[in-house]
Amino acid sequence: MADPAGLYDAILTGNAKQAAEVTTEALAANVDPSELLNKYMIPAMDEVGRRFECNEYFVPELLIAARAMKASLELLTPKMAEAGTESAGRVVIGTVKGDLHDIGKNLVASMLEGGGFEVIDLGVDVPAEKFVDAVKEKDGTILALSALLTTTMTMMKTVIEAIEAAGLRQKTKVMIGGAPITQEYANEIGADGYSDNASAAVAVARKLTSK
Amino acid sequence: MAIEGLTIIGETINDSVPSTHQMFEAGDVDGLLELAKMQDEKGAAYIDVNVGPNTPEFMADLVRKIQSVTSKPLSIDTPDPAIAKAGLEAYDLDRAGGKIPVLNSISALRLEMFDLYAIQPFMPILLISEQVVDGKSGPCHTAEQTLQAAKAIVAEARAEGRKIPNGELIFDPGIAPVGTDSEGNLKRLVAAAGMIHNDPDFAGVHMSVGLSNFTVMLPSKTADGSPVKGPLESAFLTKTMPLGLDMIIGSVKRKYELLSPDHPAMVCLEDVLKADGFEAIMRVRDFYA
Repeated sequence: MADPAGLYDAILTGNAKQAAEVTTEALAANVDPSELLNKYMIPAMDEVGRRFECNEYFVPELLIAARAMKASLELLTPKMAEAGTESAGRVVIGTVKGDLHDIGKNLVASMLEGGGFEVIDLGVDVPAEKFVDAVKEKDGTILALSALLTTTMTMMKTVIEAIEAAGLRQKTKVMIGGAPITQEYANEIGADGYSDNASAAVAVARKLTSK
Repeated sequence: MAIEGLTIIGETINDSVPSTHQMFEAGDVDGLLELAKMQDEKGAAYIDVNVGPNTPEFMADLVRKIQSVTSKPLSIDTPDPAIAKAGLEAYDLDRAGGKIPVLNSISALRLEMFDLYAIQPFMPILLISEQVVDGKSGPCHTAEQTLQAAKAIVAEARAEGRKIPNGELIFDPGIAPVGTDSEGNLKRLVAAAGMIHNDPDFAGVHMSVGLSNFTVMLPSKTADGSPVKGPLESAFLTKTMPLGLDMIIGSVKRKYELLSPDHPAMVCLEDVLKADGFEAIMRVRDFYA
């Protein structure tokens, strides 16, 4: 059997094929899926994030590493579901109504998946009621909203109001991001978290789930 | 020295540029005017003005002040009809030597901005990477969808009451960061530019992109210290100018040039055009890593 520690390097270097191979072999050898996730995979993505923060890695490396993580997670997830292991949290993500720009949203979704979160991606131009319906399905969901335009960022407030009107606000954490978004804007509209990049968004989501 | 035949809309006065954002935050109008003068002196044909979430009144005031320090025409850059209206109303056509401004931009999702043509005629940048089909909006995923989006929005530009001629239309086919391009956006853009270039109905139409977006999120230097962004942006121009791209919203400081086929950045761009999915991203990483 390949050394499960190889999973750490495979994800760090973005080698999806190797990540899948090591995972397959480890599972065949009855290595605990949670051990693979917590000992090798999440630390690898944390290291990817650290390198990104200090400009050793750039967005291409983030994406490639997240893909390797995903290749491994696709093999692990069914085993973890069988064992009743929970994900790091559930995130509903989308670009708000009127906004079709999805590059940032896709980056954040990839990094959250890489961080062990279950991600429900509603896509672009998502009306408030669709966010409400997706959040309603499970308590404790994090709602992640993205906008690129100054004309559409105001829809974030509309979504938060819709979540409140549906009686879901106490059970839902809301995080926001996008080019025109600032921490001040997040405070102004009552969002619980804000990140200015995809890597840091994982830390924000973890913080929100720990509250 | 800019590339012959390439019109540059100076990109710097934009609230999303971090250093400029600080000027907006600090109310440093003098600093913004210095940016306008610098871009004028360095060869910008137009000066872009994007005030972000500031008020329409702020846009109007800034347009007047910028026109007091430059006679170059402006590009009024906002998705907000109220801010666009204020900028166009404040625009002094005589001061710009009779040259109409650019309006950046109109998409299928905000066609009402064409109504502003009655206030002040403009050259619209038409965003053709977005489409509305049967009431459903979304990004264009193929060159054919991009061509159809161009046809639909040009029909609006030619509507009664404005009838904007081809020579005053600017298509923006929607450039995406090449470092995130796992979905073939560059392939779509290049193929769409070719289709538009060969369509006689679009003869004389300009084509423009926000070129800095192409290399955003990439490092500035390769592992051996060579520049990354300038060469990749130049490779993009080398590929697309023969297909009709003749304008950019870009930097007047960047040394854009047409590259030879064996230039490493040109080889990288051609490889990206041939690659599928994440192979394209990995090819970009290999260029700088």
